[in-house]
Amino acid sequence: MSSKEEDSSMEIGSISFPVTEAFRYCVESIRKRFTRALITAISILLGIAFYVTIRSMNTILPNVGQQPPQAYQMLMAIIALLVCGVGIVNSMLMSVTERYKEIGTIKCLGATDTSVLEIFLIEALLLGLLGGVIGAFAGWIAAVGIFSFQFGIGGVFPAGKTAIVMLQYLRYIAEAVGISVFLSVVAAAYPAFYASRHPAEALRYEI
Amino acid sequence: MEKSVPAVKVVDVHKIYQLRGEEVHALRGINLEIPHGEYLSVMGPSGSGKTTLFNMVGGIDRPTKGRVFIDGVDLSKIPSKSMAWLRCRKIGYIFQTFNLIPVLTAQENVALPMIFLGVPKPEREKKAAELLRSVGLGDRLDHRPTELSGGQQQRVAIARALANDPAIILADEPTGNLDLNTGFAIVQLLYRLKAERGTTVICATHDLKMIDISDRVVFLRDGMIENIERRRALTLTAEEFESD
Repeated sequence: MSSKEEDSSMEIGSISFPVTEAFRYCVESIRKRFTRALITAISILLGIAFYVTIRSMNTILPNVGQQPPQAYQMLMAIIALLVCGVGIVNSMLMSVTERYKEIGTIKCLGATDTSVLEIFLIEALLLGLLGGVIGAFAGWIAAVGIFSFQFGIGGVFPAGKTAIVMLQYLRYIAEAVGISVFLSVVAAAYPAFYASRHPAEALRYEI
Repeated sequence: MEKSVPAVKVVDVHKIYQLRGEEVHALRGINLEIPHGEYLSVMGPSGSGKTTLFNMVGGIDRPTKGRVFIDGVDLSKIPSKSMAWLRCRKIGYIFQTFNLIPVLTAQENVALPMIFLGVPKPEREKKAAELLRSVGLGDRLDHRPTELSGGQQQRVAIARALANDPAIILADEPTGNLDLNTGFAIVQLLYRLKAERGTTVICATHDLKMIDISDRVVFLRDGMIENIERRRALTLTAEEFESD
């Protein structure tokens, strides 16, 4: 009963989907769904900006002579992380889920699970990076702006400690970009992988 | 050519879904052989297992029991990478809801399956344009799906299904979302392409008027083949059906 028994002369070839093609597909997709991508990126951006603002306050507040309790600072950081995390995961999940049918369709056209993941993960990476970087700087500028308005520039960059403070700010920014990219990619990976493994279901999917 | 090997062979295929803990028998032992170049219509009420059967034959779902052979290749025995290649190269899919990628133009949609075979860009574009011309949309290359009518979208989908010169076209209710005349034109187009290219066409339909052009008609009911009829005998049956 081997398949050889009634085998034809058919030779099975292989799918080629280089990363450059995946990248091109993502860029096209972002470009042509620009408004949608922008909304996703903005929701990432806002979450990250909020996070960086709260984190920066932890550095600024002691410098301007206000020392809120440690526990309070922790709590604020955790809340900021949750708010931004939930926001990013939600918008990424939505943006992939509404394309279930597209995933089912490209599976029929010859995409492998890997090609589907490549397309959606690169897209998530780009959006996460964009929203993350802009959001992190926006959040930092907001924190610095507000506090230097109230306490003067010295409160935000205290004399003699500028380098240390700056390093701390940079750490927050890097942290936030990392979180943004990580959460975006993970949140996109789950639905993209699921739809790719269940193309029949994905094809039936209606928003 | 290996004339003896059927384009599609379905051997005792069962499909059981789990739906909220309950088992749903979508297919209960389907046996079917489809020779190369045949135009086969699959008829049956909704819920009779047409789409499930299509998913099995198209390699987008796996049977619970039984086997599906495409050109003699047992789908249960090949790795998923080869499955993807088979879907890309051997099978062309046409859907009731067209399923064009909304952000791509007609030409880009048709070129998409060729990307996965590694066809270089200029060649893809050229062939996509040719295919669109052959379905009568030579002047719509740069239109997005939303700028096209239902019938035009389905023509793009047909051109896309033909992109890699598949051996088999699987059309699941291709006229289901179209009015009668547009639908009829689509079926005629499928028939013409089948005649010109020798492609095997498997087409699910509700519409008795559409089955005139098929070589054989399979009637599905409750996941089983109720009846298989050749075209001649069928004209009568269709009339009987309609007089009901």
